[in-house]
Amino acid sequence: MSLLPQTPFSTRPIARHAVGAATLWFVAMFVASCAKAPAPRTGPVAVAAPPEVAVPATSTAVAATSAEVAAAGAGHPSRVWWGDEHVHTGWSGDAGLSGTTLSPEDAVRFVRGEEVVSNTGQKAKLEQPLDWVAVTDHSDGMGVINEVRRGAPEFMADPTAKRWAEMMQQGGDAARQAAVEAINAQATGKLPAVFMDPMWMDSAWQKTIDVMERYNEPGRFTAFIAYEWTSNALAGDNLHRNVIFRDGAERTRQMLPLTTFGSRDPATLWKWLENYESRTGGQVLAIPHNGNLSNGRMFEEQQYDGTPLTREWAAARARWEPLFEHFQYKGQSETHPTLSPTDEFANFELWDTSNLDGVAKTPGMIRTEYGRRALESGLRLEGTLGVNPFKFGAAGGTDTHTGLSAPIEDNFWGKFPSNEPRPERWNQPFKEDQSGFVRRDWTLAAQGYTGVWAAENTRASLWDAMKRRETYATTGPRITVRFFGGWEFTGEEIAEGDMIDAGYRHGVPMGADLPPGHGKAPSFLVAATRAVAGANLDRVQIVKGWVDAAGGAREKIFDVAWSDGDGRKRVRGKLAPVGDTVDLRTASYANSIGATELVGFFRDPDFDPRERAFWYVRVLEIPTPRWTAFDAVRYGQTMAPEVTMKQQERAITSPIWYTPR
Amino acid sequence: MERLNTILREPLLQFLLIGLGLFLLHAGIASRGERLRIVVDRARVDGLSSQYEATWGRPPTSDELAALVDGWVREEIAFREGVELGLDRDDPVIRRRVRQKLEVMAEEGDAAAMPTDAALDAWLHAHPADFRRPPAVDFEQVLLANGAPSPAEIAARAAAVRAALERGVAPSTLGERTLLPRDGVGVGLDLVARDFGGPFADRLATAPLGTWEGPVASALGVHLIRVRRRSDAALPLLEEVRVAVARAWESDRRRRALEANDRRLREKYAISIEAEVLQTPPAVVGAVAP
Repeated sequence: MSLLPQTPFSTRPIARHAVGAATLWFVAMFVASCAKAPAPRTGPVAVAAPPEVAVPATSTAVAATSAEVAAAGAGHPSRVWWGDEHVHTGWSGDAGLSGTTLSPEDAVRFVRGEEVVSNTGQKAKLEQPLDWVAVTDHSDGMGVINEVRRGAPEFMADPTAKRWAEMMQQGGDAARQAAVEAINAQATGKLPAVFMDPMWMDSAWQKTIDVMERYNEPGRFTAFIAYEWTSNALAGDNLHRNVIFRDGAERTRQMLPLTTFGSRDPATLWKWLENYESRTGGQVLAIPHNGNLSNGRMFEEQQYDGTPLTREWAAARARWEPLFEHFQYKGQSETHPTLSPTDEFANFELWDTSNLDGVAKTPGMIRTEYGRRALESGLRLEGTLGVNPFKFGAAGGTDTHTGLSAPIEDNFWGKFPSNEPRPERWNQPFKEDQSGFVRRDWTLAAQGYTGVWAAENTRASLWDAMKRRETYATTGPRITVRFFGGWEFTGEEIAEGDMIDAGYRHGVPMGADLPPGHGKAPSFLVAATRAVAGANLDRVQIVKGWVDAAGGAREKIFDVAWSDGDGRKRVRGKLAPVGDTVDLRTASYANSIGATELVGFFRDPDFDPRERAFWYVRVLEIPTPRWTAFDAVRYGQTMAPEVTMKQQERAITSPIWYTPR
Repeated sequence: MERLNTILREPLLQFLLIGLGLFLLHAGIASRGERLRIVVDRARVDGLSSQYEATWGRPPTSDELAALVDGWVREEIAFREGVELGLDRDDPVIRRRVRQKLEVMAEEGDAAAMPTDAALDAWLHAHPADFRRPPAVDFEQVLLANGAPSPAEIAARAAAVRAALERGVAPSTLGERTLLPRDGVGVGLDLVARDFGGPFADRLATAPLGTWEGPVASALGVHLIRVRRRSDAALPLLEEVRVAVARAWESDRRRRALEANDRRLREKYAISIEAEVLQTPPAVVGAVAP
């Protein structure tokens, strides 16, 4: 988007006339200011956060269930940790411009379950807190601290400031030493008065780090240090990446986030990530999002500058981008009906008219925008390049720009302050495409959480799970999903009640590669439990993707387990729908259909050991009211007939891959 | 001579001379096309270089540095010209950034003042609900049925499971298979509520100790439960929750600093709102694409 308002060209003659007078005024002011004493300033300004209060971590450790303890002992995760990897606050330029005042601290307090006051003055609270969050404000325009390093004259009057300025000018160790001294002086209240100048202000990045450090409580709540690298290619082709660090302040403070001012090529970001790791010894990953708004560029099969893909390029992409954001407020990027014509659940929260700037899509673009097709293309590219560049798992994040992460149908706080709860928000124009199509706010989707299977709720443990792709994405409901693949499963594991243990012991979890096989078909264990405060489950599916002998992308969807197993039959290969209990007059549904828990065993009937393939799980809820239906009842609105009022919420897991030897 | 000195010390004359000088300066710039100066000094170059290094973890090469300097000069020219045209005025991005900076200054104003233990302890006791630990339980559960089967069905299953338990059969081998935890040790009731729903946790809070109880409905099914041990809700000692209390205290300090700053600054201004302001609906800014 463009952050600048339109230049008022119609006033140019007037502006020109003003130039001469302005020059004179400028010079006069300059002369005057030279004679004037510096204006008094109020309050010292921090150059860095005060050191944290040191307290043993044990005091905040959360009590674990015995099952958790046992699982931790066995080394595999027993609990799924819920979070949002994509949250913007008022510190993002576009959010601030749209009226967002909530800060990163507000955003973190909200997901921790505290009540906060929204940007429009309403009380906002999550019924169920999250376990972790990544606040990802845009790095472009975040604000920098480079002014600090300049030897401004007013600093030279103070001996301490003068010495620091000189040390900073020397660079290297001297500059670092100066920074350390300044931080210590700030923490002990001994900062020279001259530092009250805003030139010494913390950069937004440093302050973001401070907030995340303050709220990160190992074992209880994880606040990732993160930012969004926001490349729009030339005009609104969404190539955005959420950059998420495993590390704390000590490492992340050492480097400034990468902006897109120098380059919009994702390969530049990967180079930056590599630099970060080699310089600090830390670890970092990136999550691309909104392929659906990239006008064909998210998974294009060429480099950013149009040159052919190389093995090195593929290796870099696979290394740095282990996850892809499938669900968020601006629609889903799992698959599109034109790519998956036999998938009756593909027509869901589609934003397929244009890119971010409203530039209309042309035929063919959709082919390289969606996750499922990219996973298939990745298999083919692995054949030609030697490395699969699109070997990613599933993530979900809201991309909220209100600081309020709430992908909850009856508690949806919108994407911008203008779509915070109020009667007419559904009908407000969101954006007019260049084609003239007006997208309205009712098309915003209340979706985007990530479930992470990790041994404990810490930055390291969660990040490691993201890196190995042991994650799944949901549209919001906290459905528990387990998925294991292997060569030895028989299905008996389920009846014996030790499916999780057997899954890890004799197979691999979601996100992993099958070990080499011996020609026979792989088998899978899958289980899903509905959200505690949520709707029952319709069915559990396995989505298989592979590449045929001619190099074509192929996919097939298998229903593995479903509710009312005796009553629901297949008609022309399709399982009968689960039914529908939604009452739009009251925006309610009943769990009189569907199942609380679905468990299944699957052996791939079409397996060909010569073909690369992947399998992932999709779990569907029974139909429930969409956020628009809650609004219609709450505010007594009669909405236009095209407004979607109900839906089947869902979860999709990271795939398990097979590669022929 | 003395007289000349006196004349030269005359403020009015000085003012006129300065004015004349400015006029000549301006006229000179205008007529001879003399160019405005942009100086890229050592400090500026070092600044650009160190910012690059902060981003990339290495100093720029000489080509890169030349490009940075050229970029800075280009920006400086554009910035000066733009400011001269007044393009900075009424720009919402600039206004918000300036406001953000000022508010950060206000927030950080007394950030060095660390709270004393007494202050933190007072905060803890003034906000007990924010820090109270929920009761914790040691418990076991046997899932009689998923969902909500008929009462007769539940009663029959409960009787069968109770009989097995009385025979000494291990509870973990009884009932329906499930992904739910079969037991828990020292689990806070807030976490129990997360796994089983609030009403189930409420039952664990009041169930008699040591005996199998139920059937008890959870959000996901019907269970028999046994609570072996239960600790009461308690307000922790300061040393147990110092980080959380300090964070709340600090957050409140920032909020108050911002409010005080706003109040103080408002006193400088006489604000008259001369147009009618609608009371409803709440002010809403137009949607902006991301």
